[in-house]
Parts: sequence; C-alpha cells; structure tokens
Amino acid sequence: MARRALVFAALVAALLVGVVCSLAFGAVKVPISEVIDIIFGQGGSATDVQIVETLRLPRTVEAMLVGAALGVAGAILQGALGNPLASPDVIGVTGGAGFGAILIIIVLPGSIALLPLTALAFGLLAAATVFAFAWSGRNRGSVGKVVLAGIAVLSLFTAGTTGLLAAFPERAPSAIFFIAGGLTSSGWRDLETVWPYFAVGFLVALFLIRPLDRLALGDDVAASLGSRPQVIRLGAGIAAALLAAASAAIAGLLGFLGLVVPHVVRMAGGTSSHAYVVPASAIGGAALLAGADTLARTLRAPIEMPVGPFMVILGVPLFLWLLRKAV
Amino acid sequence: MGHDEGQSRGRGPLRRGHGPMGVASGPPEGSPATAQLLDARDVKVEIAGVPILKGADLSVKAGELVAIVGPNGAGKSTLVRAVSGMQKPSAGSVFWSGRPLGEMRGRELARRRAFVPQRMPVPNGVSVREAVTIGRSSHLKPLRRLTGEDREGVEHAMERARVTRFADRDLTTLSGGELQRVQIAVGLAQEAPVLIADEPTSQLDLGATIGVAGLLRDLARTGLAVLLVVHDLALAAAVADTVVVVSEGRTVATGAATQVLTSKRLSEVWKAEAHLTEHEGRTALHVAWLQGNDVRSP
Repeated sequence: MARRALVFAALVAALLVGVVCSLAFGAVKVPISEVIDIIFGQGGSATDVQIVETLRLPRTVEAMLVGAALGVAGAILQGALGNPLASPDVIGVTGGAGFGAILIIIVLPGSIALLPLTALAFGLLAAATVFAFAWSGRNRGSVGKVVLAGIAVLSLFTAGTTGLLAAFPERAPSAIFFIAGGLTSSGWRDLETVWPYFAVGFLVALFLIRPLDRLALGDDVAASLGSRPQVIRLGAGIAAALLAAASAAIAGLLGFLGLVVPHVVRMAGGTSSHAYVVPASAIGGAALLAGADTLARTLRAPIEMPVGPFMVILGVPLFLWLLRKAV
Repeated sequence: MGHDEGQSRGRGPLRRGHGPMGVASGPPEGSPATAQLLDARDVKVEIAGVPILKGADLSVKAGELVAIVGPNGAGKSTLVRAVSGMQKPSAGSVFWSGRPLGEMRGRELARRRAFVPQRMPVPNGVSVREAVTIGRSSHLKPLRRLTGEDREGVEHAMERARVTRFADRDLTTLSGGELQRVQIAVGLAQEAPVLIADEPTSQLDLGATIGVAGLLRDLARTGLAVLLVVHDLALAAAVADTVVVVSEGRTVATGAATQVLTSKRLSEVWKAEAHLTEHEGRTALHVAWLQGNDVRSP
C-alpha cells in the first residue's frame, strides 16, 4: 500500500512540475514565480498574462486531458480484455481517427476546422465497427474476437489513410504533424467541441473501476458477483473509444501513450488493482504529455516539433527499465 | 436407469412461506431450516443448438453438502452454471428460495449464491485481503467506499476460509491449496447462503484436497449450503450428505453416497469395474484398473 501511495505522490508531483514548466517555457520564458502569480490572478505583465492565459493554459489543459484520457483508455482496455497489448489502437479508434483527419487535411484542406469532429466521428465509427463484429455470432464479446476485429478494422482504415497519402503526395507533408501526434496553441476552440466526449469517457471509466477488479479475478468470479463480463468489456470499449477519439481529435495519433502508461504505473506500483491503476494512469499520462509537450515546444523554439516522438523518447527508456525489473 | 429417490425432499418451487424458512431472503446461517434454498427441475441447456444438459434436477438446503459427480462431459459444470445464472437454461425451472432465477438481477443473485470457479486468474500485486474485498463488492453501491461492516465481513470470510494467517500476502505467492481457500473466501465474502464450488480439488495434492474438503464440510456444518462438483468419488462419498450423479446430460441418481454409487452404477455410468467402501468416515474406491478395457471399448 505504501508503495502505491509513494508512486501516486510522485506522479502528482511530476504532473505539477510538468504543468508549471508547460506554462512557463516556450518561445517566450515566463518566470515560474510570475506563472504562479498569473494562475492565482495576482499580477504579471500584460503580455505574459496574455501568453499564459490564452495560449499556454489551454494547451496545458489539452495536454493534461489528452494524456489522462489515453492513460485511462489504455488502463481500462488492458483490464477489460485481460491483455497487456491492448491500447486504443486495438479497438480501431486510432486508425479511424487518423483516416478522418487525413481525409480533411488532404481532400478538404479548406475545411480544416472540421478536423476534430471528423477525426472523432471516424474514430468512433471504427470502434463501433469493431464492437458490431466482435459482439455478434457465437462467443460474442470474447477477448479474441475483439482483438482480431480491432486489428482487421485498424488495417482497413490504415490502408485508407495510406491510399489518401499516396494519391495526394504533394499534400502529405501537412498530414505528418497529425500522424506524429502533437498539440497546437489554438486556444479553447478544440476543447469546446470535444469536452463532452472526454467527460462521458472519464465518468464511465470511474464506474468501471470496481467491475474491472472483479473481472481481474476471472469472468466466473465477476459473474458470481452479479456482473456481466461482456457488459463490462463493452462499457470499457465504449469509454476507451470516446476518450481516444476525443484525444485524437485534438492531438493526433498518440496511441503509444495509452499502451505504455498503464504498464509503467503497474510496474512502479507493483499492483494491477484498478483502484490504483486507473487514477495513476490518468495522472501519469497527464504528466508525461504535459512534460513532453513542453520539451517539444522549447528544444528548438520557436520551431514546434510534434510531441509524439518526444513522448516516445521520454517513455520508452522508463518503460524498458521497469520491464527489466518486472517479473 | 431409474431415478433414485431423494428429490421428494422438494416441496415445489412455487410455494413460498411454507416451513420455517420458506421466505425469499433465505435462512440465516446455522438455522435448522429444511426449506430448499435451491430447487431446480428438468433444467436443459443447449449450446449452439447442441443439447448439453437434457433434463437435470438439483436442490440443496441449508447445512447440506451436495456432491455432483459424473464422467467428463456429463454436464456437471453446465448444470451448476445454469442454476447459478451463468449459463442460460433453454428449459426447466430454477428457484432460489422461491424466487425464479430469471426474475433476479445480478446483485440479488449474488446474495443468494456464490460461485467458486475451478481456478481463478491470479492478478499481480493483489493481496489476499484485497481479493476477498473484491468478493464483498456485490454489497457495495457503485463508487461507495467500504463500511466498517464490509471490512468485518471481509475479515469474517477470511477467518471462515482459514486464510487470515496469510491475508497480506500477494496471490502470486500462494500454493495451490492456499489459493483455493482464498477463492472460497472470495465466495464467502458474498455472504450468500449457498456456495457452489466447481471442481475445487481437481488440481490439488492429497493434503491440500483434505484441507479444502474439510473446510467445505465445516462450512456446511455451520449452516452453509454447499454444492460441490467433484470427480473423486471416494472424496464425494466421504464429505457429501447427498450425491447427485449426472450422466449424459441428465441427473440419474440422487441420494446417500452408498446408495447411489453402487457397483452397478459405477459400471453403467463410468464404465468402471469398481466398488465403494465406507468405514468410520474413511472411504475407498476399489477399482479394477486394468480390467475395464472390455466394457470401455465401444
């Protein structure tokens, strides 16, 4: 128990550091003391207030929300499917959202404002297709069916995306930022569109914590306790689809985060209890994305690099180090 | 093959309020109830159009240990899963303390019977106490924390299953016998009047089997109704008040072990030349191990 509390405290501290850095650093440096003053409404120069409040605060909130959403999506999918390889990719969301976004970027570049909604819609469409096939016929809702249907649908949408890129090679460069995954300083606009999807996804995930712990003792124990394993899996799939599709809508394809963060918190905390793993994945994902996004903005400022590769560079060594020590 | 008597104990599934405990809530532990906690009649199960269970009866009352025996594929597990609400019956009636199975939702069902699977998956970094606490979760409202009563319930379940000694150890560090007792504790934490254990001893060594069998017997002595699916006929004869024989999807005999596990039945159902002996609580199955080949071959 003590170890979990310690890891949780460390994650919260990392998140606080990440958030402050995200607000302070960028093309223009704002001193940390001033950032704290601005947050609490106690002054700061007019330009700095403008930078922090209208550019960096929305972006930091986006980073936290997307990081938390992908962490939670991965945690509940891995729990529900009992499969360590599960991530939003596996239920097709990433592939669908990627296709939707590339469709706008390449075919309808004039309607770029529609990108978040289109990515969201295709992400959910892909997940719905996966669920429709996985929950039909014999053995409906089985882990194998979900994973196989997911991989098939992912391949389908990936082929569509690749086809679009190949058909319009001259427009492909503008799609790279989305595919690599990255946040933008576009204010609150994107969040205003997709926040309800985050809200519902997080809420469902919260209610799934206890059922997922039952499921960890096996379908039979869950059924003995009055749960329906297939319903838990479907609920987890829907929540993960909402969270991952909303994330893709504002930050591109960052599926890696959803795969790795739950493993990192599990290995660090030494437990797979969902009462710990789900909130810790949320905090850990938020901290990782906020930190990585700050790095992506500052390393070659004023040029912004996509955060996806940075997150991988930060996350993979930690992941491999923990994996080496894991049983 | 006729059906042995024993089913006459049932007084009909629809009667409620007859007898001291014929109410929907089920009798409390240790009460001298005679009412059926479970009454299942002519239960049939089809899986993908294939009849697996072709008509099985099963009943149990408080303090009774019923062993369900039969050859591989006879439908023993399907029977207990069907009456537990984990496998939809295609026909027949199942009543828990007078309440029809089909009318109960998960949470209510969880308070009437606990199902202990053969072997549960063992998640990493989960202690015995945490696992047993999960067993308590059918008593909790969504998002509500455990109350003092819930914590007491968890401790009580661990004491009854004799796992308190290693309550803080991780599940991954336990032996097969210890893990099986933890599974029983998870079931007991549901505080249901009926515990259903599906082959709890099939992967255990002799000593651990004796431990689990003794535990189930003691639980029945304190008033719990126990349904035990088991392969070992000598074990079934030693621990059970009532033995139910399932063969080819039907219950073919119900009664005391010595009455239903006759040499004739062992030959008919298991194609084995064997006989069961019992003497002062010790049971043995004397098997002609190498002489059954002629009866066995089709």
